[in-house]
Parts: sequence; structure tokens; C-alpha cells
Amino acid sequence: MAETKVSTRYANSLLDLTSEKNNLEQIAEDMELVRSAINSSSQLRNLLESPVIKLEMKKNILSEIFQEKISGDSINFIRFVVEKSRESLLPSIIAKFLELKDEKLEQISVEVKTSFDFTDEQKTKLKSRLDNILNKRTYLNFKVDKTIVGGFVAKVGDTVYDASVKHQLELLRKEFLQGSVQLN
Amino acid sequence: MAEVRPDEISAILRKQLSGFESEVDIYDVGTVLQVGDGIARVYGLSKVMSSELVEFPNDVFAMVLNLEEDSVGCVLFGESALVKEGDTVKRTKRVASLPVGEEMLGRVVNPLGIPIDGKGNINTKKFYPIERKALGVIQRQPVKEPLQTGIAAIDGMIPIGRGQRELIIGDRQTGKTAVAIDTIINQKYTHTEEAAKLGIKPVYCVYVAIGQKSSTVAQVVAKLQEHDAMKYTTVISASASEPAPLQFIAPYAGASLGEFFRDNGKHALVIYDDLSKQAAAYRELSLLLRRPPGREAYPGDVFYLHSRLLERASKLSDDLGGGSLTALPIIETQQGDVSAYIPTNVISITDGQIYLESNLFNAGVRPAINVGISVSRVGGNAQIKAMKKVAGSLRTDLAQYRELEAFSKFGSDLDKITLRVLAKGARLVELLKQGQFSPVPIEKQVVSMYLGTNSYLDSIPLHDIKKFEKEILEFIAVKYNSIFENIKKEKDLSDSTKEEIKKAADEFLTIFKKSA
Repeated sequence: MAETKVSTRYANSLLDLTSEKNNLEQIAEDMELVRSAINSSSQLRNLLESPVIKLEMKKNILSEIFQEKISGDSINFIRFVVEKSRESLLPSIIAKFLELKDEKLEQISVEVKTSFDFTDEQKTKLKSRLDNILNKRTYLNFKVDKTIVGGFVAKVGDTVYDASVKHQLELLRKEFLQGSVQLN
Repeated sequence: MAEVRPDEISAILRKQLSGFESEVDIYDVGTVLQVGDGIARVYGLSKVMSSELVEFPNDVFAMVLNLEEDSVGCVLFGESALVKEGDTVKRTKRVASLPVGEEMLGRVVNPLGIPIDGKGNINTKKFYPIERKALGVIQRQPVKEPLQTGIAAIDGMIPIGRGQRELIIGDRQTGKTAVAIDTIINQKYTHTEEAAKLGIKPVYCVYVAIGQKSSTVAQVVAKLQEHDAMKYTTVISASASEPAPLQFIAPYAGASLGEFFRDNGKHALVIYDDLSKQAAAYRELSLLLRRPPGREAYPGDVFYLHSRLLERASKLSDDLGGGSLTALPIIETQQGDVSAYIPTNVISITDGQIYLESNLFNAGVRPAINVGISVSRVGGNAQIKAMKKVAGSLRTDLAQYRELEAFSKFGSDLDKITLRVLAKGARLVELLKQGQFSPVPIEKQVVSMYLGTNSYLDSIPLHDIKKFEKEILEFIAVKYNSIFENIKKEKDLSDSTKEEIKKAADEFLTIFKKSA
């Protein structure tokens, strides 16, 4: 799809810029912040997607929101994206950028779903185990999801390490279904 | 208050199920971007293989057909209504495959090998991928053993050899399936001890029903059961209500099962009923996957679709066990138009074709085989010598008859020779008529054809031919059984056997009572 191609291009250029200016950490942090802001506010999402609002207006609003919180380079990048009327792609550009950053730093982000909040001790244990298995520096994003009943689910890229009770029950269901008559 | 811990529950359940694993499960996933018309586009699944099976929620399986830069195109084997945007898709890490083994015999399964006859699990040990490469030149040898269909017209004039691909083509309602089913029923003989003594190896059958009514498939299965033919037959059914992808893979699944027998040094017969519907199913999903349409809106690779399937029919070299896989594809034409796209394709791929015509069928010539344009390009090598001897002149006699028949319709005065040719031809046509589900063993075919070509029938009225044939065969079986035995054993028609047939025929002619 054309969309991902475009996002990759913008993300790459941002990454190149950071390596030139040597402020990758800073920019990455900024982008995380922007992402969480976009994720948490539907109004902001609407703003980005709306074709009715003028570019100038969008630029001003975005500057106002993030001015105090992120570095000048990041602001400039966001303004640049808006200038090119690619603001609706901003979330996917940021996602791609963070992905590329991880690749560059040889680290990997892992999404961990747990049924309850892990203690810090549990978290470090899990992290060291995952570091060992994946042979890479990992950083974990924890999320609580009651529907998995128990255990945890760790997702690295497209690969899932599933130790949840929900999955076990699913396997169990399949085992029981083996050889039964199919109705549909 | 007592608490029930979730892992306790699972521990108890686990005890119930030996072999159930509780380790961390590792699998690859993707997300559904788009779904509809039996096609799903999936984001992720980065390491997925082409034609791999993937699992959607609600036990819907799909096969990966398109690998694109940032998405994967899958064809669903289940209902697309059960799949939603954003659903998680799991890799199964195996390409679409079919369980194979002798356990499959006697069963009705879908193209993924899941039983649909309600007889429970099939405990097979092996899986074969559905798409397998056809064998090369070194692994093959020429077709040399006959595959008896039990239909006199075919065994006599359009012989089929083991490892051959013979197309059955005709309009709707001309008895295409009947020919195929009769062939399956006739293989019962190869599973008897008597056949084993004569060195005839058993033939295992696979009947692949593509896009047919479920009721028709049920009828076929019932007929096979009635004739005790199910115990060496597997029926693979992708009925009309099944999604197009299942109909598309059904023949490949059948070929894989046949290859299992072939690779184990056995002989297999696979019937694809019918490939026109498979081509239509493939067209449907190709168009949905946005592949460019070509002639008759079929995609560009529709020739390859059938050629790669039929190339898998083969006779293995002796080093590899000498097994064989015979393919009998069926094509339905529209209004006798054999020059449509799919019929011409398949005609050019196969080693011959059996034409069935509706006007013959309606005139009561059943099986409605048009012998003039039906051919078998390799089967002649496989025909037994006895049959070759008697059927040689049959073809020319019938050809002459057809030529003169057109003239005789003008009703002009005909000379004696012409009348004789016409009379003989009419009797031969009558002789080759045969009821459904009543295959005739080869030795009886040889005797009746010998009688037909050697003018023993000339004195018999046309309406008595079938009666005469039936009675003389019974007469020989009782009184001159050595004739049948000799033909079976020697597979040849020696002069002494000929003499005996002559003697028996002369004797029978004197006692035969013509019906009024």
C-alpha cells in the first residue's frame, strides 16, 4: 500500500536527521509522547484527519499543544509533515520511526499483556528471561488485560509468546473437539 | 471462602487429556486488514510461506495465496462472515496438506482431509502437501498395464493404461459420471485373490467431487457402497455450497492421496469430477485477488492450473516400485462446444479423450460414446493381446458403418455389400450398449467382440443381440469355461481358444431361441 511507503520515507528521513544531530534519544522520547497524546485524545485524532481545518490552523494548534513539551526539532518535523499535508499519516509515521529506531539501536519492544499488574520484581525477571531468549535488549510495555484470565502474553513483532490461561483453555477446547462431528 | 484458582482448573483438565501441553506456546500472528468475498488481507505474518495454512478465530482456516510488500492475501476455507477486521491470524507453519494413508479408504472427506461422513476421526500417520511437484522424466516409465473400465466400448477401442490421463468430456446429462463410477466399481475385481494370482495388482480409487450437489455426492457414495466399492475408495467432496478456495484445492488433494498409493508401489485411480467447475472456482478467487482476467475472464495461469494437476498422473519406474496414478478428469461442455477455452486446454494436456454425446445418449446408445472422435494415445500399449486382436477390426467396422449410415438415410436402393456392412455395424453398436453399474470382465468382452466382428451375430435380429450375448456368455461359462480361463491366464487369444469359441458359438446358434 502507498500509505506505508510514504510513512517509511518520512520516518527514515527523521531518523537520518537524528543521527546527524545526534539527538535520537531526545526525538524518540518526543515521538513517544506525541503518540500517546494522539492515542489518548480522539479530538486530536479528528483534528489530524479532518480535511476541513486549514493547514495553518492545524500547525498552530499542534505547536501550541506540544511547544512546551518536546524539542524544537520534533516540533519542526511535525510542522513539516503538516506542511506537506501528510498529517493524517502522523501516527503511522511515528510508529514506523520508533520501529526503525529500535532496529538501529538493536533493541526490541515487547508488548506484554498480563491479567493483573506485575510487581517490579516480576517485571525484571520477565525482562531478563526475554533478553536471553531473544538475544536483544528488550523494553517491555505492560498492559493489563483481564480477558486472558491468568499468565501473560508477550508479543515481539509478529511472534507471540503465549502463556495465558485463555490460550490453554482454547487448546483444550480444540483437543476436545478432535474427532467430534462437525456441524457446519 | 474457598478459592478456585485458574491454574488448578487447567491442571485438572490437563490430567484428563494426556499429551496436552502447557508450556509457553510460541506462534506468529498478523491482523486482518480487510475481509470480504472469501478473501482476507492480513497485515503482519511476516514469515508466512506461500500456500501456508493460517488460522483465523472461530476455527476458520485460510490459505495464503498472495504475498505482497506489506500485506498477505488469504483465501478463506470457511465463512467470511465469521472473520472481522482486526482479528488475529495465526500461522500454522504447514502448507495446506492432506492426511494420507490406507485409513482414508472408505471415507468421505473434505479437501483438507476432515471427515464429513460422521464416522469419526481418521487416524492417519502421514501428511502430504496438497501441491506437489510432478515427477521428472527419470522417475517414469511408459504406460504398460491396462486399467480395465469394464465398459466394452472403452476397453476395446479407447483402452486406458495405468498411469494415463484420459479425459471424459461431454454435455450435461450424457453419463460422464456414470463412466467414472463404473470404472471404480470394476476395480473391485483387482482386489480379489483371483486377480492377485493372475498378477493383477489392486487399484485404489479416489473420487473427487468438485462443485457438485451434496445430494449427488451422497448418491454416488450410496451406489459405491451398494456395489461394495467403498472399501477401496475415498471420496473427496467440495460441494457447490463450499467456498471457492476449497473447490479449487480439491483436485490437488485428490492427486496427493493418489500419489501416496503410487509412491508406495500401489496403483491409484483418481477421478476429477469435474474440472470445469474447478476452473470456475479458480476464476472466482483469482478475480477477487485482483489478478488480471484473460480469455473468458479466466486468469492467465488457468492452463497451468490443469497441466500441473494432470502432470502428476504417472507410471513410476521399476526402481521406484512401479506404482501408478491414473487420472480421469471430467469436463462438461456447453452445447457440445469442445472448442471453448477450458475443454481445449484439457484436451491438449491429456493422453486422449472419451467423447460422450447427447444425441447418442437420447438415441439409446449408452454409454453414449462417440467412438469416431474418441481416442487414447497411449492406452494401446497397455491393452491385453486378446483384446487387441478382436478390437482391431471393430474400429474400422464401426467407422464404415457410420459413413454408410448417413447415405442409407436417403432410402435409395443399396447393394448387398453395403447392406451387410450396415447390418453388421448396427449389431456392433447394439453389442456395445451396456447398462449402468454393470461392468463386464475383460474375458467376456473379448468373446462377445470376437463374435461380433466375426459375423456370428448377422443372423440374429437386432432386438435380440443383447439377449443372445447374455445367453451365450452364460452358456460358455457353463459348458466351455476353459475359454474364459485361457483368456484370463494367457491374456491372449490363441488359435486353440479361437477354435473353441467357434465351436461353442456354432453349438449355441442351433439352440438359441429368437424372441418373437
